[in-house]
Amino acid sequence: MKKEHIAISLGIMCFILTFAISIQIRTVKNSNLTVSQSYEENNLRAEVLKYKERYDNAYNELEKLEKDLEEERKEASTEDTELKNLEEQIKKGNKIIGFTEVKGPGVTLTLSDSKIPTGSALVGDLNDLLVHDMDVLSVINELKNAGAEAISINDQRVIPTSSIVCGGNIITINGERIGVPFVIKAIGLPEQLAALSRPGGYLSILSDYGIVTDLKKEESITIPKYSGVIKFEYAKTINK
Amino acid sequence: MVFIAIIIGCILGAILGIQAPMISYTYSSYLAIAIVAALDTVFGGIVGVVNKSFDLKIFVSGFFTNAILAILLTVLGQKLNVDIYLAAIVVFVWRMLNNIGIIRRYYIEKWTKQIEARKNKNKSKETTAKEQ
Repeated sequence: MKKEHIAISLGIMCFILTFAISIQIRTVKNSNLTVSQSYEENNLRAEVLKYKERYDNAYNELEKLEKDLEEERKEASTEDTELKNLEEQIKKGNKIIGFTEVKGPGVTLTLSDSKIPTGSALVGDLNDLLVHDMDVLSVINELKNAGAEAISINDQRVIPTSSIVCGGNIITINGERIGVPFVIKAIGLPEQLAALSRPGGYLSILSDYGIVTDLKKEESITIPKYSGVIKFEYAKTINK
Repeated sequence: MVFIAIIIGCILGAILGIQAPMISYTYSSYLAIAIVAALDTVFGGIVGVVNKSFDLKIFVSGFFTNAILAILLTVLGQKLNVDIYLAAIVVFVWRMLNNIGIIRRYYIEKWTKQIEARKNKNKSKETTAKEQ
């Protein structure tokens, strides 16, 4: 074995080694973690994953049971016309309150925070650059006014009991936290819904503040169903 | 000669590594274990140089098999939710310490021999001077 060969191979190996070490150091530095912090974070992450898994399992089970229920209903109502009518009524009701996935023409509206740099002289109040819960609420209201039949925000179905709440830099809807960009889908007559972007409308006010709004007419959009439970504890039906 | 090459390699690696793009944090655990494997191989190589039993094939194949096996163990450990990579790290560091021990012993013996030889030379000079 020649001495040069040994030297070159060891040199190359050291090169790879220090190269990898410096990449690793920079990566770790960039992720800004100390050991204890990352340990804690890992634990929290594991916890979240566990809960998520449980949630997913429960959700899958729910879905399965719902399917079973539907099967049972179908089976029970095949022979009886009256039951069939009731079944149709249930389906219609579910569609109205948002318990079924729906599809149809409509618009997709994306709202995201302003791209104006925060140090710019154009900016008076930093809050003007953000999309707030009130903005989303007003847009939803306008969509409803324009005849939207089904609305979802970031795949969260808006149902009659949905609330839109500010939660810091995110908003909470149906108890789920969502953040920018807000993708609002609405099913309805696209031309009518697209009138949201009219001059003087809420969207034009928002874009005056620099908020990025993007309204698109769509041939066919799918809006997911509401995945929660509606409780009716106080409201009772009146039997006439 | 060998050590100059090592130092040049280290400096070049550090300079280029600073300029290289970062990797995502998920892969950094794999890179870390590969780094430990590479460190182990480099020390093994130096020991080979010291013992005059250096073999390029063994050196290179040792580097790749160690690194790849360690990474695979890490992946397996993540899949099984057991920190198997700790075992790999323990073995690598243990071997590294052994190798460092061998290197240290070799150089200490070499230096003490050199110093003694110098002393003997001086003594023999003195004695010859006295005799004259």
